Amino acid sequence: MSKAIPDSVTRLIEAFSRLPGIGPKTASRLTYFLLRAPEDVSTTLAGAISELKSKTRLCKVCFNITEEEVCGLCRDERRDAKLIAVVEEPLDVLAIERAGIYNGRYHVLHGVLNPREGIFAENLKIKELVERVRSEAITELILSTNPGMEGDATATYIKDELSRAGVTVKITRLARGLPTGADLEHADAATVMRALEGRQNL
Amino acid sequence: MRLQHLSLVNFRNYSRLELALPSGALLLCGANAQGKTSLIESIYYLATARSPWTASDRQLMNWRAENDALPYSRISAEVRGKGEVITRLDITIYKDSQEGARFRKDIKVNGVKKRVVDLLGAITVVMFLPQDLALIEGSPTDRRRYLNITLAQSDPRYAEALQTFDQALQQRNALLRRIAERQGSLNELKFWDNKLVSAGSVIIAGRQRLLRELELLAQKVHRELTGGDETLEMIYQPSFAPTAKADGQLSFSVLGLDLHRQLKPAEIEPQYREALAQTRREELHRGITLVGPQRDELRFMVNGRDLGLYGSRGQARTAVLAIKLAEMGWMESATGECPVLLLDEFIAELDARRRAFLLERISHASQSILTTTEPDIFTQDFLSKAAVWTVHAGEITTAQSLP
Repeated sequence: MSKAIPDSVTRLIEAFSRLPGIGPKTASRLTYFLLRAPEDVSTTLAGAISELKSKTRLCKVCFNITEEEVCGLCRDERRDAKLIAVVEEPLDVLAIERAGIYNGRYHVLHGVLNPREGIFAENLKIKELVERVRSEAITELILSTNPGMEGDATATYIKDELSRAGVTVKITRLARGLPTGADLEHADAATVMRALEGRQNL
Repeated sequence: MRLQHLSLVNFRNYSRLELALPSGALLLCGANAQGKTSLIESIYYLATARSPWTASDRQLMNWRAENDALPYSRISAEVRGKGEVITRLDITIYKDSQEGARFRKDIKVNGVKKRVVDLLGAITVVMFLPQDLALIEGSPTDRRRYLNITLAQSDPRYAEALQTFDQALQQRNALLRRIAERQGSLNELKFWDNKLVSAGSVIIAGRQRLLRELELLAQKVHRELTGGDETLEMIYQPSFAPTAKADGQLSFSVLGLDLHRQLKPAEIEPQYREALAQTRREELHRGITLVGPQRDELRFMVNGRDLGLYGSRGQARTAVLAIKLAEMGWMESATGECPVLLLDEFIAELDARRRAFLLERISHASQSILTTTEPDIFTQDFLSKAAVWTVHAGEITTAQSLP
């Protein structure tokens, strides 16, 4: 039986379908778009994709994605080296940078504790964080894992690990509560509770 | 409290339904597989965000709708509650195009998106199902589920604790399994232990309160049902002794928890922590959590004899009926509103005397919805007060078609 779609086309459709947010229909559309587009569109894309893995690595200090041994944020002398924001993922670094008021360094854990999904302390960059706090002159850790049980578990574990290692440092957690522009009357009970707990002096 | 309007889109065998519901008793008649139970199920789903029959939301969707470009089903209702306040509830179940074939649901209360725990209590129901009659002979899991559903509807704090507890329990068990395989670190346990203890203690205190209040109400109904010669008792047996000191108590495991002295969650926590410490070795060995409300047991005694072990089938059914009727009263005192009663093919399971007793009680509720294939088993007195509608192939005829 002859096939309606050649193998090379099927292969690309399948490869696209594995990406987050892309279903079989979108995958086919992207593939047929590339088939019709001028050759340089697909060669540029292919080049960018293959360089993505070969050229990038994790910063050996903060484990953010970088092309150098040590990332630009860690090398930036103007940033406060005594302050570390601990985040789950590289995208969280961008989120904090977008706020534009943070001038310290980062530490990317690459996940949160989630035993159900097979993620334990040794799968995260926690040991490296403890070592970093011990060897560098750090004055404050801002634990910025997501608010949720797994994010909280990770923050608590880091705090415990530091005290087990005998390292004393100021540890803070990102505030949580009502999002800007939201209505108090429409907020759910858990959010209002958090907001009350985290209230501040005016 | 009552539902004054219900609308269904692509729910089970209803492609579209708009229904104004009467107050008082409503009897839905029709042959099997016409959509009587689906109607009850949709109301139950609005109250609890889950179906009593299936864990998969996909099955709730009308099969014809599954091939639509954007398959969805929706249940909406207007609920008239205390002070004539009207609340609008909407639950939409849809296929998440981002995650392949996963089904998700959006819950809205008065048009504002909410979480499941915020929906609970917006409308409270007491459901009577034929399988409820097996509550006493059934598995401990069934009895715990019964406690959870009753409490979660009336106590938002319990609902929240239950959700936290389930999540923490799963995570902790996964971690214990890992440690049992000689990997993973004990240090990771602490956070989950704390969550388990704080949420678990709220659950135990909630169950103790429910059972104490329910026992009193159920005893009264039970005496009326049995002519006063039998005394019903409920025995709550948590998996560890939650009281600080069993002062002169013979054996906690036999007598269960003293229901008359209400414990606060904070008073239970130290004992829970202690019980976890004592079972730690075994937990690490077996890779599973061994103490907590996930292992609670509930027993029913009549005149001091365990119904689950020595009771007759008839005795067990009478006890369940007393408990369900007590639950109506309990729900009303806990929430300040009369719950909506849902009875799916339940009446046919009872003998004539119990049937008459139950129907008489139901006729006082602000709203009850019953299904049956045999309307002639209902008492004349009940039929004369109830609205009797016919369900046929997903269509409802509201005209009174019976004598």
